[in-house]
Amino acid sequence: MIELDRVSKRFGPVVALDDLSFTVRPGHVTGFLGPNGAGKTTTMKIIIGLDAPTSGTALVNGRRYDRLIRPLHQVGTLLDATALHGGRTARLHLASIAQSNGIGRHRVTEVLRLTGLEAVADRRVKGYSLGMKQRLGLAAALLGDPPILMFDEPVNGLDTEGIGWIRQFFKALAAQGRTVLVSSHLMSEMALTADHLIVIGRGQLLADMPTAQLIASNARHDVLVRSPRATELVSLLTARGATVTPQPDGALVVTGLDAAAIGDLAAAHGIAVHALVPRQASLEDAYLDLTGESVDYHGTMPAMPADQGPVTEGTPTR
Amino acid sequence: MSTVTTGPDPARAATPSVAVRARDLLGCEWTKFRSVRSTYWTLAVAVVTPIGFSVLVASAFAASPPGAAPVDPLLPGLLSLEYAVIAVAVLGVLSFSSEFGTGLIRTTFAAAPRRRAVLAAKAAVTGTVTLIAGEVVAFSSFFAAQSILAGHHLGVSLSRPGVPGAVLAAGVLLCVCALIGVALGAIIRHTAGGIAAAIGVIVLPAIVALLPAPWNGRIGRFALLDAARQVTALHPQPNLLAPALSLLVLLAWPAAALLAASVLITRRDV
Repeated sequence: MIELDRVSKRFGPVVALDDLSFTVRPGHVTGFLGPNGAGKTTTMKIIIGLDAPTSGTALVNGRRYDRLIRPLHQVGTLLDATALHGGRTARLHLASIAQSNGIGRHRVTEVLRLTGLEAVADRRVKGYSLGMKQRLGLAAALLGDPPILMFDEPVNGLDTEGIGWIRQFFKALAAQGRTVLVSSHLMSEMALTADHLIVIGRGQLLADMPTAQLIASNARHDVLVRSPRATELVSLLTARGATVTPQPDGALVVTGLDAAAIGDLAAAHGIAVHALVPRQASLEDAYLDLTGESVDYHGTMPAMPADQGPVTEGTPTR
Repeated sequence: MSTVTTGPDPARAATPSVAVRARDLLGCEWTKFRSVRSTYWTLAVAVVTPIGFSVLVASAFAASPPGAAPVDPLLPGLLSLEYAVIAVAVLGVLSFSSEFGTGLIRTTFAAAPRRRAVLAAKAAVTGTVTLIAGEVVAFSSFFAAQSILAGHHLGVSLSRPGVPGAVLAAGVLLCVCALIGVALGAIIRHTAGGIAAAIGVIVLPAIVALLPAPWNGRIGRFALLDAARQVTALHPQPNLLAPALSLLVLLAWPAAALLAASVLITRRDV
């Protein structure tokens, strides 16, 4: 269990974390979501005592991390997979970490096997791909067989097979009753991995709820309608209690009536309908709705044709 | 929370003694020390060049006419060491700066949140190895130089009073400079900056020798390499501190640097 109680962190004038409180419980994979710069890494660094909070406390299993003796038996962390000395082999890298916490050599071999690195264990890590470094970071986090595990963006650099593998790995760790906190800036990734989500933006807590609930409470359902007699259709729809938002290109976005009801209504009045598209807001949209206000670095969209262009992932410019 | 079903088994979680934890950290740092190439390169430079250099200096001394200005027969060994000190200082700086540079320091401090213990372990490993290397170099240089000087007016025997202590002290100089490197690596957290600072601390005070007398001696007596010369010379300079006091000055430099590092290391985010 990880508990944050009113944690704030300032870097000079910049407020990185603002009165952040949440609890991460065992037995679940908890997703820790937020746009780049939201404060995810800073939060994790405070939990393991690398950064000192300006105010507030962070506890692991009820104790401050920097008070723990042999902490790797309590908490395993992967912050940055590339934080390695390139000239050292994976085995000696792990051996040095293991030694610092009184962990034996056989456990080093064990975690190398668990993460599929046995065959390359005696190579210098400078030759490793990012995916292999992620596996090595995972191996290091598992050395002490800890009940609490934290991973910062562990999916970066993994191939499709690796991503599937790591998802199952997290679920298995949670199923063993461990506390698993996994950060990501990709909602889609977390939707597949996490049972519970903690969403932050600009250092503030935006949501802390089960994944399913977050989707249900933020998802929007609407219908995209195109018709040559749009103006007439709008008055008919609003008379039935629907909310209609005309789009710049002449399309109508209708909420409050489903596609069948809209189609029947149009047919009853002899109005031709050229498009009738039920739309379900994706999880990504729900996430963008939550964090849209709190994104620090907005990209701009390249100029696009008047019609709906493809929406580029990761550029929440709404 | 009572629902945690896995976790450390009780035997393993039993609080280990301070001695056991110290041994763990020393083992960790020793593994890191011996598992990268830079260790062997810097040590090779620190050991090989001074022995060769002392042979050259001794040859030059031997070639000088007997009536020339008297020189200290132990000077070849010491002069050559002044090149090795940079190599071991780099070794010391790297012990921290390479971890700060790569971000590995976060793994290190997450595994050992008592950061001063990490500083102590790194200092112990680097200090011990460089002390051994330093003594090897000091005695090898002494014998190499004396094998050349023996036939001339500058030959001295190891059994002569003052000689064993001076040669031993020359070996300590490498350890002292390596420890200053460790401390500066922890303070500056950057390889190039740490090396520059180490060179500054170790070599730059020699500039005070250019000051007009008596200030060259008054300030110079506290300079690291001048103190080292007092301790390692057969005939100490009269205008500097006595050898015993110079030894204190020599040891005070790394002590002060490590003290500063131990204060800063717990205060900063990493």
